[in-house]
Amino acid sequence: MKEGSKISRREFMMMAGLACTAVLSASSLGSVLKPSIAEAAEKPDVEHINDVLKNMFGSRKIEMAHVKLKTPIIAENGAVVPVTVISDLPMEKDNYVKKIYIFVDENYHPFTASAELSPANGKATLALRIKMRKTSNVRAVVETSTGKLYSAIKAVKVTIGGCGG
Amino acid sequence: MYKNLFKIAVCLAVILSPLMAVHDVWAGGDSASIQEYEQGCTYEEYEKTYLEFYGNSTNEMAEEGNPAELMLDDGKDLYNTVDGSKGKSCASCHGENGEKLVGVAVKYPKYDPAIKGINTVALQINRCRENQMGAKPLKYESYDQLALTLYVKSLSNGMKINVSIDGPARKFYEKGKKFYYTRMGQWNFNCAICHVKYSCKRVRTNLLSPNRRHGDHWPSYRLKWGKTGSMQRRFRGCMKNMRAKPLPYQSEEYRNLELYLTYQSNGLPLEVPGMRM
Amino acid sequence: MPKGIGKIKIRVPRKIKKGAVIPVKALITHPMETGFRKDKKTKKRIPAYYINDVNVYYGNDLITHMEWTIAVSANPFMTFYLKADKAAPLKIVWKDIKGGEYEKTIQINPQ
Repeated sequence: MKEGSKISRREFMMMAGLACTAVLSASSLGSVLKPSIAEAAEKPDVEHINDVLKNMFGSRKIEMAHVKLKTPIIAENGAVVPVTVISDLPMEKDNYVKKIYIFVDENYHPFTASAELSPANGKATLALRIKMRKTSNVRAVVETSTGKLYSAIKAVKVTIGGCGG
Repeated sequence: MYKNLFKIAVCLAVILSPLMAVHDVWAGGDSASIQEYEQGCTYEEYEKTYLEFYGNSTNEMAEEGNPAELMLDDGKDLYNTVDGSKGKSCASCHGENGEKLVGVAVKYPKYDPAIKGINTVALQINRCRENQMGAKPLKYESYDQLALTLYVKSLSNGMKINVSIDGPARKFYEKGKKFYYTRMGQWNFNCAICHVKYSCKRVRTNLLSPNRRHGDHWPSYRLKWGKTGSMQRRFRGCMKNMRAKPLPYQSEEYRNLELYLTYQSNGLPLEVPGMRM
Repeated sequence: MPKGIGKIKIRVPRKIKKGAVIPVKALITHPMETGFRKDKKTKKRIPAYYINDVNVYYGNDLITHMEWTIAVSANPFMTFYLKADKAAPLKIVWKDIKGGEYEKTIQINPQ
Protein backbone atom coordinates (compact mmCIF):
# COMPACT_ATOMS: atom_id res chain seq x y z
CA MET A 1 0.00 0.00 0.00
CA LYS A 2 1.27 3.45 -0.81
CA GLU A 3 2.15 5.58 2.12
CA GLY A 4 0.31 8.53 0.70
CA SER A 5 -2.99 6.78 0.63
CA LYS A 6 -2.84 5.73 4.26
CA ILE A 7 -5.26 7.49 6.41
CA SER A 8 -5.64 7.11 10.12
CA ARG A 9 -8.90 6.34 11.81
CA ARG A 10 -8.63 9.58 13.73
CA GLU A 11 -8.24 11.62 10.60
CA PHE A 12 -11.13 9.90 9.01
CA MET A 13 -13.39 10.60 11.97
CA MET A 14 -12.34 14.22 11.99
CA MET A 15 -13.10 14.59 8.34
CA ALA A 16 -16.40 12.86 8.61
CA GLY A 17 -17.25 15.04 11.56
CA LEU A 18 -16.25 18.10 9.61
CA ALA A 19 -18.33 17.14 6.67
CA CYS A 20 -21.28 16.52 8.93
CA THR A 21 -20.92 19.79 10.79
CA ALA A 22 -20.53 21.62 7.53
CA VAL A 23 -23.75 20.15 6.26
CA LEU A 24 -25.49 20.66 9.57
CA SER A 25 -24.39 24.23 10.07
CA ALA A 26 -25.39 25.13 6.55
CA SER A 27 -28.83 23.70 7.04
CA SER A 28 -29.28 25.10 10.54
CA LEU A 29 -28.10 28.51 9.43
CA GLY A 30 -30.57 28.39 6.65
CA SER A 31 -33.38 27.46 8.96
CA VAL A 32 -32.45 30.18 11.45
CA LEU A 33 -32.11 32.90 8.86
CA LYS A 34 -34.91 32.01 6.53
CA PRO A 35 -37.95 32.51 8.69
CA SER A 36 -36.74 35.79 10.17
CA ILE A 37 -36.10 37.28 6.75
CA ALA A 38 -39.18 35.75 5.32
CA GLU A 39 -41.38 36.88 8.16
CA ALA A 40 -40.11 40.43 8.07
CA ALA A 41 -40.96 40.68 4.40
CA GLU A 42 -44.01 38.51 4.08
CA LYS A 43 -46.02 38.36 7.24
CA PRO A 44 -49.26 40.13 6.47
CA ASP A 45 -51.54 41.81 8.97
CA VAL A 46 -52.81 39.11 11.24
CA GLU A 47 -56.36 39.24 12.43
CA HIS A 48 -57.37 37.45 15.57
CA ILE A 49 -60.45 35.31 15.39
CA ASN A 50 -62.03 36.99 18.43
CA ASP A 51 -61.72 40.42 16.86
CA VAL A 52 -63.18 39.15 13.61
CA LEU A 53 -66.16 37.61 15.36
CA LYS A 54 -66.66 40.76 17.41
CA ASN A 55 -66.58 42.95 14.30
CA MET A 56 -69.08 40.76 12.51
CA PHE A 57 -71.51 39.85 15.24
CA GLY A 58 -70.87 42.41 17.97
CA SER A 59 -71.82 41.10 21.35
CA ARG A 60 -74.66 38.90 20.10
CA LYS A 61 -74.95 35.54 21.72
CA ILE A 62 -73.71 32.59 19.65
CA GLU A 63 -75.24 29.29 20.63
CA MET A 64 -73.41 26.03 20.02
CA ALA A 65 -76.30 24.10 18.52
CA HIS A 66 -78.17 23.23 15.32
CA VAL A 67 -75.02 23.23 13.21
CA LYS A 68 -73.00 20.24 12.10
CA LEU A 69 -69.54 20.67 10.68
CA LYS A 70 -67.94 17.93 8.63
CA THR A 71 -64.20 18.10 8.19
CA PRO A 72 -61.39 15.59 8.01
CA ILE A 73 -59.63 15.16 11.35
CA ILE A 74 -56.27 15.04 9.64
CA ALA A 75 -55.50 16.90 6.43
CA GLU A 76 -52.28 15.97 4.69
CA ASN A 77 -52.67 18.83 2.28
CA GLY A 78 -53.59 22.12 3.90
CA ALA A 79 -54.36 23.63 0.52
CA VAL A 80 -57.39 21.40 0.02
CA VAL A 81 -59.52 20.75 3.08
CA PRO A 82 -63.14 19.89 2.37
CA VAL A 83 -65.59 21.45 4.77
CA THR A 84 -69.33 20.89 4.90
CA VAL A 85 -71.66 22.95 7.03
CA ILE A 86 -75.06 21.43 7.69
CA SER A 87 -77.81 22.94 9.72
CA ASP A 88 -81.04 21.25 10.72
CA LEU A 89 -82.84 24.59 11.01
CA PRO A 90 -85.96 24.98 8.89
CA MET A 91 -85.94 26.73 5.51
CA GLU A 92 -89.44 28.20 5.54
CA LYS A 93 -90.64 31.46 4.17
CA ASP A 94 -90.21 33.62 7.25
CA ASN A 95 -87.92 31.42 9.24
CA TYR A 96 -84.84 30.32 7.38
CA VAL A 97 -81.08 30.29 7.53
CA LYS A 98 -80.00 33.61 6.12
CA LYS A 99 -76.26 33.23 6.12
CA ILE A 100 -73.55 30.66 6.65
CA TYR A 101 -70.04 31.77 7.62
CA ILE A 102 -66.87 29.70 7.63
CA PHE A 103 -63.82 30.72 9.66
CA VAL A 104 -60.37 29.20 10.14
CA ASP A 105 -58.95 30.44 13.44
CA GLU A 106 -55.24 30.27 12.67
CA ASN A 107 -55.32 31.70 9.16
CA TYR A 108 -53.98 35.24 8.78
CA HIS A 109 -57.47 36.25 7.78
CA PRO A 110 -59.82 33.90 9.62
CA PHE A 111 -62.89 34.80 7.56
CA THR A 112 -62.94 32.28 4.71
CA ALA A 113 -66.30 32.37 3.02
CA SER A 114 -69.92 33.20 3.56
CA ALA A 115 -73.10 32.27 1.76
CA GLU A 116 -76.41 34.11 1.84
CA LEU A 117 -79.17 31.60 1.39
CA SER A 118 -82.87 31.92 0.74
CA PRO A 119 -85.84 29.57 1.26
CA ALA A 120 -85.42 28.47 -2.38
CA ASN A 121 -82.36 26.50 -1.29
CA GLY A 122 -84.52 24.05 0.61
CA LYS A 123 -81.66 22.92 2.83
CA ALA A 124 -79.13 24.93 4.79
CA THR A 125 -76.01 23.15 3.59
CA LEU A 126 -72.81 24.39 2.06
CA ALA A 127 -69.76 22.37 1.07
CA LEU A 128 -66.51 24.02 0.07
CA ARG A 129 -62.84 23.20 -0.15
CA ILE A 130 -60.70 25.61 1.83
CA LYS A 131 -57.07 26.36 2.59
CA MET A 132 -55.56 26.08 6.04
CA ARG A 133 -52.21 27.58 7.01
CA LYS A 134 -51.65 25.17 9.87
CA THR A 135 -53.40 22.98 12.43
CA SER A 136 -56.38 24.94 13.61
CA ASN A 137 -59.99 25.09 14.60
CA VAL A 138 -62.50 25.47 11.84
CA ARG A 139 -65.71 27.13 12.85
CA ALA A 140 -69.03 27.62 11.16
CA VAL A 141 -71.55 30.24 12.18
CA VAL A 142 -75.13 30.20 10.99
CA GLU A 143 -77.38 33.24 11.10
CA THR A 144 -81.14 32.83 10.85
CA SER A 145 -83.60 35.30 9.42
CA THR A 146 -84.90 35.87 12.93
CA GLY A 147 -81.46 37.08 13.97
CA LYS A 148 -80.24 34.15 15.98
CA LEU A 149 -76.69 32.84 15.74
CA TYR A 150 -75.61 29.22 15.99
CA SER A 151 -72.16 27.75 15.68
CA ALA A 152 -70.01 24.63 15.60
CA ILE A 153 -66.27 24.17 15.98
CA LYS A 154 -64.02 21.37 14.88
CA ALA A 155 -60.26 20.90 15.04
CA VAL A 156 -58.35 19.89 11.91
CA LYS A 157 -54.76 18.71 12.08
CA VAL A 158 -52.68 19.77 9.11
CA THR A 159 -49.75 17.41 8.79
CA ILE A 160 -46.86 17.59 6.38
CA GLY A 161 -45.29 14.46 5.06
CA GLY A 162 -46.88 11.28 6.30
CA CYS A 163 -47.52 8.30 4.12
CA GLY A 164 -49.66 9.87 1.45
CA GLY A 165 -47.19 9.93 -1.42
CA MET B 1 -1.13 14.84 -3.25
CA TYR B 2 -2.72 11.41 -3.31
CA LYS B 3 -3.52 11.83 0.34
CA ASN B 4 -5.44 15.01 -0.32
CA LEU B 5 -7.32 13.49 -3.19
CA PHE B 6 -8.25 10.57 -1.03
CA LYS B 7 -9.44 12.90 1.70
CA ILE B 8 -11.66 14.70 -0.73
CA ALA B 9 -13.01 11.43 -2.02
CA VAL B 10 -13.84 10.23 1.49
CA CYS B 11 -15.44 13.55 2.29
CA LEU B 12 -17.59 13.38 -0.81
CA ALA B 13 -18.52 9.82 -0.03
CA VAL B 14 -19.66 10.77 3.46
CA ILE B 15 -21.75 13.62 2.15
CA LEU B 16 -23.17 11.81 -0.83
CA SER B 17 -23.73 8.39 0.71
CA PRO B 18 -27.38 9.08 1.61
CA LEU B 19 -28.02 10.07 -1.97
CA MET B 20 -26.29 7.06 -3.44
CA ALA B 21 -28.23 4.69 -1.27
CA VAL B 22 -31.26 5.19 -3.50
CA HIS B 23 -30.92 2.06 -5.51
CA ASP B 24 -33.21 -0.15 -7.44
CA VAL B 25 -32.99 -3.83 -6.64
CA TRP B 26 -35.77 -5.98 -7.88
CA ALA B 27 -36.24 -8.64 -10.45
CA GLY B 28 -39.05 -10.72 -11.75
CA GLY B 29 -39.32 -14.42 -11.07
CA ASP B 30 -41.07 -16.98 -8.99
CA SER B 31 -42.44 -16.17 -5.59
CA ALA B 32 -41.50 -19.48 -4.00
CA SER B 33 -38.67 -17.89 -2.06
CA ILE B 34 -40.88 -15.16 -0.63
CA GLN B 35 -41.34 -15.14 3.08
CA GLU B 36 -44.96 -14.14 3.49
CA TYR B 37 -46.13 -12.13 6.45
CA GLU B 38 -49.16 -12.78 8.52
CA GLN B 39 -51.95 -10.30 7.86
CA GLY B 40 -51.91 -7.68 10.62
CA CYS B 41 -55.67 -7.26 10.61
CA THR B 42 -58.70 -7.93 8.46
CA TYR B 43 -60.46 -5.23 6.52
CA GLU B 44 -63.37 -5.23 8.96
CA GLU B 45 -61.03 -4.56 11.85
CA TYR B 46 -59.38 -1.82 9.85
CA GLU B 47 -62.68 -0.09 9.20
CA LYS B 48 -63.42 -0.10 12.91
CA THR B 49 -59.99 1.32 13.76
CA TYR B 50 -60.39 3.88 11.00
CA LEU B 51 -63.64 5.14 12.46
CA GLU B 52 -62.04 5.48 15.89
CA PHE B 53 -59.00 7.20 14.46
CA TYR B 54 -60.32 9.52 11.78
CA GLY B 55 -64.05 9.49 12.33
CA ASN B 56 -66.38 8.97 9.42
CA SER B 57 -65.29 12.15 7.71
CA THR B 58 -64.09 10.91 4.34
CA ASN B 59 -67.22 8.92 3.57
CA GLU B 60 -69.40 11.79 4.64
CA MET B 61 -67.51 14.19 2.45
CA ALA B 62 -67.86 11.90 -0.52
CA GLU B 63 -71.63 12.13 -0.09
CA GLU B 64 -71.51 15.92 -0.28
CA GLY B 65 -69.67 15.80 -3.54
CA ASN B 66 -66.73 14.13 -5.16
CA PRO B 67 -64.98 16.45 -7.62
CA ALA B 68 -64.03 13.42 -9.70
CA GLU B 69 -67.69 12.99 -10.67
CA LEU B 70 -67.37 16.06 -12.86
CA MET B 71 -64.39 14.45 -14.55
CA LEU B 72 -66.58 11.48 -15.34
CA ASP B 73 -68.82 13.65 -17.52
CA ASP B 74 -65.78 14.83 -19.46
CA GLY B 75 -64.82 11.20 -19.93
CA LYS B 76 -68.20 10.47 -21.48
CA ASP B 77 -67.76 13.34 -23.94
CA LEU B 78 -64.31 12.07 -24.87
CA TYR B 79 -65.72 8.60 -25.38
CA ASN B 80 -68.05 9.96 -28.04
CA THR B 81 -65.49 12.25 -29.66
CA VAL B 82 -64.20 11.21 -33.07
CA ASP B 83 -60.42 11.34 -33.22
CA GLY B 84 -57.58 10.03 -35.40
CA SER B 85 -57.10 9.09 -39.04
CA LYS B 86 -59.82 6.41 -39.20
CA GLY B 87 -62.63 8.76 -38.20
CA LYS B 88 -63.80 6.67 -35.31
CA SER B 89 -64.60 7.28 -31.69
CA CYS B 90 -64.72 4.77 -28.86
CA ALA B 91 -68.49 4.71 -29.34
CA SER B 92 -68.13 3.45 -32.96
CA CYS B 93 -67.09 0.02 -31.71
CA HIS B 94 -68.31 -0.15 -28.14
CA GLY B 95 -71.79 1.32 -28.44
CA GLU B 96 -73.06 4.79 -27.84
CA ASN B 97 -73.51 4.58 -24.11
CA GLY B 98 -70.77 2.05 -23.72
CA GLU B 99 -73.22 -0.84 -23.41
CA LYS B 100 -70.67 -3.29 -24.82
CA LEU B 101 -68.18 -2.31 -22.14
CA VAL B 102 -70.47 -2.99 -19.20
CA GLY B 103 -68.79 -5.51 -16.94
CA VAL B 104 -65.50 -5.45 -18.82
CA ALA B 105 -63.48 -3.34 -16.42
CA VAL B 106 -63.96 -5.72 -13.48
CA LYS B 107 -61.87 -8.32 -15.33
CA TYR B 108 -58.95 -5.93 -15.72
CA PRO B 109 -55.98 -6.08 -15.34
CA LYS B 110 -55.80 -9.30 -17.35
CA TYR B 111 -53.35 -11.24 -19.48
CA ASP B 112 -53.25 -10.18 -23.08
CA PRO B 113 -51.44 -12.43 -25.59
CA ALA B 114 -50.99 -9.49 -27.98
CA ILE B 115 -48.58 -7.73 -25.65
CA LYS B 116 -47.44 -10.91 -23.90
CA GLY B 117 -48.15 -9.36 -20.56
CA ILE B 118 -50.71 -7.77 -18.32
CA ASN B 119 -53.09 -5.28 -19.84
CA THR B 120 -54.69 -2.51 -17.81
CA VAL B 121 -57.68 -0.33 -18.69
CA ALA B 122 -55.50 2.74 -19.21
CA LEU B 123 -53.12 0.83 -21.45
CA GLN B 124 -55.96 -0.74 -23.43
CA ILE B 125 -57.48 2.68 -24.08
CA ASN B 126 -54.22 3.87 -25.58
CA ARG B 127 -53.84 0.68 -27.61
CA CYS B 128 -57.36 1.10 -28.96
CA ARG B 129 -56.61 4.66 -29.90
CA GLU B 130 -53.45 3.68 -31.75
CA ASN B 131 -54.63 0.52 -33.48
CA GLN B 132 -58.36 1.02 -34.04
CA MET B 133 -58.73 4.78 -34.26
CA GLY B 134 -55.36 5.79 -35.65
CA ALA B 135 -55.13 8.47 -32.99
CA LYS B 136 -52.29 9.55 -30.76
CA PRO B 137 -52.11 7.75 -27.43
CA LEU B 138 -53.04 9.91 -24.46
CA LYS B 139 -50.31 10.77 -21.99
CA TYR B 140 -50.66 8.69 -18.84
CA GLU B 141 -52.02 10.58 -15.85
CA SER B 142 -53.14 13.43 -18.10
CA TYR B 143 -56.64 14.78 -17.54
CA ASP B 144 -58.09 13.19 -20.68
CA GLN B 145 -56.56 9.79 -20.06
CA LEU B 146 -57.86 9.72 -16.48
CA ALA B 147 -61.29 10.93 -17.51
CA LEU B 148 -61.63 8.23 -20.15
CA THR B 149 -60.38 5.50 -17.81
CA LEU B 150 -62.81 6.72 -15.20
CA TYR B 151 -65.73 6.60 -17.59
CA VAL B 152 -64.93 3.13 -18.91
CA LYS B 153 -64.51 1.79 -15.39
CA SER B 154 -67.66 3.50 -14.13
CA LEU B 155 -69.71 1.47 -16.64
CA SER B 156 -69.04 -1.57 -14.45
CA ASN B 157 -69.78 0.22 -11.18
CA GLY B 158 -71.34 -2.01 -8.56
CA MET B 159 -70.24 -5.24 -10.24
CA LYS B 160 -67.94 -7.59 -8.40
CA ILE B 161 -64.26 -7.47 -9.23
CA ASN B 162 -63.33 -10.73 -10.89
CA VAL B 163 -59.68 -10.79 -11.84
CA SER B 164 -58.37 -14.09 -13.13
CA ILE B 165 -54.87 -15.36 -12.43
CA ASP B 166 -55.31 -18.70 -14.19
CA GLY B 167 -53.16 -19.79 -17.08
CA PRO B 168 -50.52 -17.44 -18.42
CA ALA B 169 -51.54 -14.66 -15.99
CA ARG B 170 -50.24 -16.76 -13.09
CA LYS B 171 -46.63 -15.97 -13.97
CA PHE B 172 -47.26 -12.25 -13.91
CA TYR B 173 -49.21 -12.50 -10.70
CA GLU B 174 -46.21 -14.16 -9.07
CA LYS B 175 -43.98 -11.42 -10.44
CA GLY B 176 -46.26 -8.79 -8.99
CA LYS B 177 -46.23 -10.56 -5.66
CA LYS B 178 -42.47 -10.75 -5.76
CA PHE B 179 -42.34 -7.02 -6.37
CA TYR B 180 -44.72 -6.47 -3.46
CA TYR B 181 -42.33 -8.33 -1.17
CA THR B 182 -39.07 -6.90 -2.54
CA ARG B 183 -37.20 -4.62 -0.20
CA MET B 184 -36.22 -1.39 -1.87
CA GLY B 185 -35.07 2.15 -1.37
CA GLN B 186 -33.15 3.86 1.35
CA TRP B 187 -35.52 2.78 4.09
CA ASN B 188 -35.25 -0.80 2.91
CA PHE B 189 -39.02 -1.27 3.05
CA ASN B 190 -41.31 -3.35 0.96
CA CYS B 191 -44.99 -2.83 0.30
CA ALA B 192 -45.98 -5.80 2.42
CA ILE B 193 -44.41 -4.55 5.64
CA CYS B 194 -46.89 -1.70 5.90
CA HIS B 195 -49.90 -3.23 4.22
CA VAL B 196 -49.69 -6.82 5.43
CA LYS B 197 -47.55 -7.16 8.52
CA TYR B 198 -48.28 -3.86 10.25
CA SER B 199 -51.70 -3.07 8.85
CA CYS B 200 -53.93 -1.23 11.35
CA LYS B 201 -50.84 0.10 13.10
CA ARG B 202 -49.97 3.75 13.05
CA VAL B 203 -47.12 5.57 11.38
CA ARG B 204 -47.26 8.98 13.07
CA THR B 205 -50.63 10.35 12.01
CA ASN B 206 -51.27 7.68 9.41
CA LEU B 207 -53.18 4.49 9.83
CA LEU B 208 -51.82 1.68 7.67
CA SER B 209 -54.45 -0.01 5.57
CA PRO B 210 -54.56 -3.72 4.76
CA ASN B 211 -54.31 -4.49 1.05
CA ARG B 212 -57.78 -5.99 0.73
CA ARG B 213 -59.45 -2.87 -0.63
CA HIS B 214 -56.66 -1.24 -2.56
CA GLY B 215 -57.98 -2.16 -5.96
CA ASP B 216 -61.65 -1.22 -6.04
CA HIS B 217 -61.86 2.56 -6.33
CA TRP B 218 -59.25 3.86 -8.78
CA PRO B 219 -59.03 6.42 -10.38
CA SER B 220 -59.76 8.20 -7.14
CA TYR B 221 -59.90 11.75 -5.84
CA ARG B 222 -57.32 12.20 -3.13
CA LEU B 223 -57.33 15.11 -0.71
CA LYS B 224 -53.57 14.97 -0.44
CA TRP B 225 -53.22 15.58 -4.16
CA GLY B 226 -56.23 17.83 -4.45
CA LYS B 227 -56.71 15.97 -7.70
CA THR B 228 -57.90 12.75 -9.23
CA GLY B 229 -55.18 10.22 -9.88
CA SER B 230 -54.64 6.62 -10.81
CA MET B 231 -53.50 3.65 -8.75
CA GLN B 232 -50.10 3.82 -10.38
CA ARG B 233 -49.63 7.39 -9.23
CA ARG B 234 -50.11 6.05 -5.72
CA PHE B 235 -47.50 3.36 -6.39
CA ARG B 236 -45.08 6.08 -7.35
CA GLY B 237 -45.89 8.04 -4.22
CA CYS B 238 -45.37 5.00 -2.02
CA MET B 239 -42.05 4.28 -3.67
CA LYS B 240 -40.91 7.85 -3.18
CA ASN B 241 -41.78 7.51 0.50
CA MET B 242 -39.60 4.42 0.69
CA ARG B 243 -36.94 6.54 -0.99
CA ALA B 244 -36.77 4.27 -3.97
CA LYS B 245 -36.79 5.43 -7.56
CA PRO B 246 -40.38 5.46 -8.83
CA LEU B 247 -40.98 3.63 -12.09
CA PRO B 248 -42.70 5.09 -15.16
CA TYR B 249 -46.46 4.73 -15.60
CA GLN B 250 -47.63 1.44 -17.09
CA SER B 251 -44.21 -0.13 -16.77
CA GLU B 252 -44.24 -3.91 -16.62
CA GLU B 253 -43.61 -4.01 -12.87
CA TYR B 254 -46.49 -1.66 -12.13
CA ARG B 255 -48.90 -3.59 -14.33
CA ASN B 256 -47.97 -6.81 -12.55
CA LEU B 257 -48.36 -5.09 -9.22
CA GLU B 258 -51.75 -3.77 -10.26
CA LEU B 259 -52.82 -7.31 -11.09
CA TYR B 260 -51.59 -8.58 -7.73
CA LEU B 261 -53.37 -5.86 -5.78
CA THR B 262 -56.60 -5.98 -7.75
CA TYR B 263 -56.71 -9.72 -7.22
CA GLN B 264 -56.70 -9.06 -3.47
CA SER B 265 -59.91 -7.08 -3.99
CA ASN B 266 -61.66 -9.89 -5.86
CA GLY B 267 -65.31 -10.21 -4.93
CA LEU B 268 -65.70 -6.60 -3.85
CA PRO B 269 -67.89 -4.27 -5.88
CA LEU B 270 -66.13 -1.77 -8.12
CA GLU B 271 -66.76 1.79 -6.94
CA VAL B 272 -65.28 4.54 -9.05
CA PRO B 273 -64.53 7.35 -8.61
CA GLY B 274 -63.30 6.88 -5.08
CA MET B 275 -62.59 9.62 -2.60
CA ARG B 276 -59.99 9.24 0.06
CA MET B 277 -57.52 11.02 2.31
CA MET C 1 -58.35 19.61 -13.60
CA PRO C 2 -58.49 21.13 -17.05
CA LYS C 3 -56.07 23.92 -17.81
CA GLY C 4 -57.04 27.55 -18.11
CA ILE C 5 -59.22 29.80 -16.04
CA GLY C 6 -62.98 29.85 -15.97
CA LYS C 7 -63.82 26.36 -17.19
CA ILE C 8 -67.03 25.41 -15.47
CA LYS C 9 -68.83 22.18 -14.71
CA ILE C 10 -72.18 21.98 -12.99
CA ARG C 11 -73.80 18.75 -11.99
CA VAL C 12 -77.34 18.02 -10.82
CA PRO C 13 -79.11 14.66 -10.52
CA ARG C 14 -80.35 13.21 -13.83
CA LYS C 15 -83.92 12.72 -12.72
CA ILE C 16 -85.49 15.41 -10.62
CA LYS C 17 -88.85 15.09 -8.90
CA LYS C 18 -90.90 18.22 -8.62
CA GLY C 19 -90.38 19.89 -5.25
CA ALA C 20 -87.41 17.75 -4.33
CA VAL C 21 -84.38 19.28 -2.69
CA ILE C 22 -81.43 18.45 -4.96
CA PRO C 23 -77.69 18.94 -4.55
CA VAL C 24 -75.96 21.19 -7.06
CA LYS C 25 -72.24 20.63 -7.48
CA ALA C 26 -70.19 23.21 -9.29
CA LEU C 27 -66.54 23.39 -10.17
CA ILE C 28 -64.66 26.24 -11.76
CA THR C 29 -60.99 26.34 -12.68
CA HIS C 30 -59.24 29.28 -11.11
CA PRO C 31 -55.78 29.64 -9.49
CA MET C 32 -57.11 31.46 -6.37
CA GLU C 33 -53.72 33.05 -5.69
CA THR C 34 -53.35 34.20 -2.10
CA GLY C 35 -50.75 36.88 -2.72
CA PHE C 36 -48.43 35.20 -0.18
CA ARG C 37 -46.83 32.82 -2.66
CA LYS C 38 -43.57 33.54 -4.43
CA ASP C 39 -42.56 32.50 -7.90
CA LYS C 40 -39.82 29.91 -7.47
CA LYS C 41 -37.75 31.21 -10.39
CA THR C 42 -38.09 34.96 -10.26
CA LYS C 43 -38.50 35.16 -6.44
CA LYS C 44 -41.17 37.73 -7.00
CA ARG C 45 -44.41 37.61 -5.16
CA ILE C 46 -47.39 36.43 -7.17
CA PRO C 47 -50.14 39.00 -6.77
CA ALA C 48 -53.43 37.95 -5.24
CA TYR C 49 -56.00 36.82 -7.79
CA TYR C 50 -59.12 35.14 -6.57
CA ILE C 51 -62.86 34.85 -6.95
CA ASN C 52 -64.62 36.97 -4.38
CA ASP C 53 -68.23 36.92 -5.46
CA VAL C 54 -70.59 34.13 -6.50
CA ASN C 55 -74.23 34.53 -7.43
CA VAL C 56 -76.78 31.83 -8.12
CA TYR C 57 -79.95 32.62 -10.03
CA TYR C 58 -82.89 30.27 -10.33
CA GLY C 59 -85.29 31.65 -12.89
CA ASN C 60 -85.16 35.39 -12.25
CA ASP C 61 -84.45 35.22 -8.54
CA LEU C 62 -81.10 35.52 -6.87
CA ILE C 63 -81.28 32.61 -4.50
CA THR C 64 -77.73 32.40 -3.15
CA HIS C 65 -74.98 34.92 -2.89
CA MET C 66 -71.53 33.93 -1.68
CA GLU C 67 -68.50 35.89 -0.62
CA TRP C 68 -65.19 34.13 -0.98
CA THR C 69 -61.69 35.05 0.14
CA ILE C 70 -58.19 33.81 -0.65
CA ALA C 71 -58.72 30.89 1.71
CA VAL C 72 -60.95 29.03 -0.73
CA SER C 73 -58.90 26.33 -2.50
CA ALA C 74 -57.70 26.57 -6.08
CA ASN C 75 -60.21 25.26 -8.61
CA PRO C 76 -63.08 25.92 -6.20
CA PHE C 77 -65.64 23.17 -5.83
CA MET C 78 -68.88 23.81 -4.01
CA THR C 79 -72.05 21.98 -3.20
CA PHE C 80 -75.29 23.65 -2.24
CA TYR C 81 -78.93 22.63 -2.35
CA LEU C 82 -81.86 23.76 -4.41
CA LYS C 83 -85.57 23.21 -4.09
CA ALA C 84 -86.58 22.22 -7.60
CA ASP C 85 -90.18 23.45 -7.66
CA LYS C 86 -90.29 24.91 -11.17
CA ALA C 87 -88.83 24.37 -14.61
CA ALA C 88 -86.36 27.21 -14.93
CA PRO C 89 -82.75 27.90 -15.82
CA LEU C 90 -80.15 27.80 -13.06
CA LYS C 91 -77.40 30.33 -13.62
CA ILE C 92 -74.21 30.59 -11.60
CA VAL C 93 -71.94 33.62 -11.98
CA TRP C 94 -68.44 33.81 -10.56
CA LYS C 95 -66.58 37.15 -10.39
CA ASP C 96 -62.89 37.57 -9.60
CA ILE C 97 -61.03 40.62 -8.32
CA LYS C 98 -59.55 41.48 -11.71
CA GLY C 99 -63.01 41.91 -13.16
CA GLY C 100 -63.27 38.49 -14.76
CA GLU C 101 -66.80 37.15 -14.98
CA TYR C 102 -67.57 33.52 -15.64
CA GLU C 103 -71.04 32.09 -15.91
CA LYS C 104 -72.89 28.98 -16.90
CA THR C 105 -76.56 28.18 -17.19
CA ILE C 106 -78.21 24.80 -16.99
CA GLN C 107 -81.87 23.95 -17.30
CA ILE C 108 -83.70 22.39 -14.37
CA ASN C 109 -86.63 20.28 -15.53
CA PRO C 110 -88.43 18.67 -12.62
CA GLN C 111 -90.96 15.97 -13.44
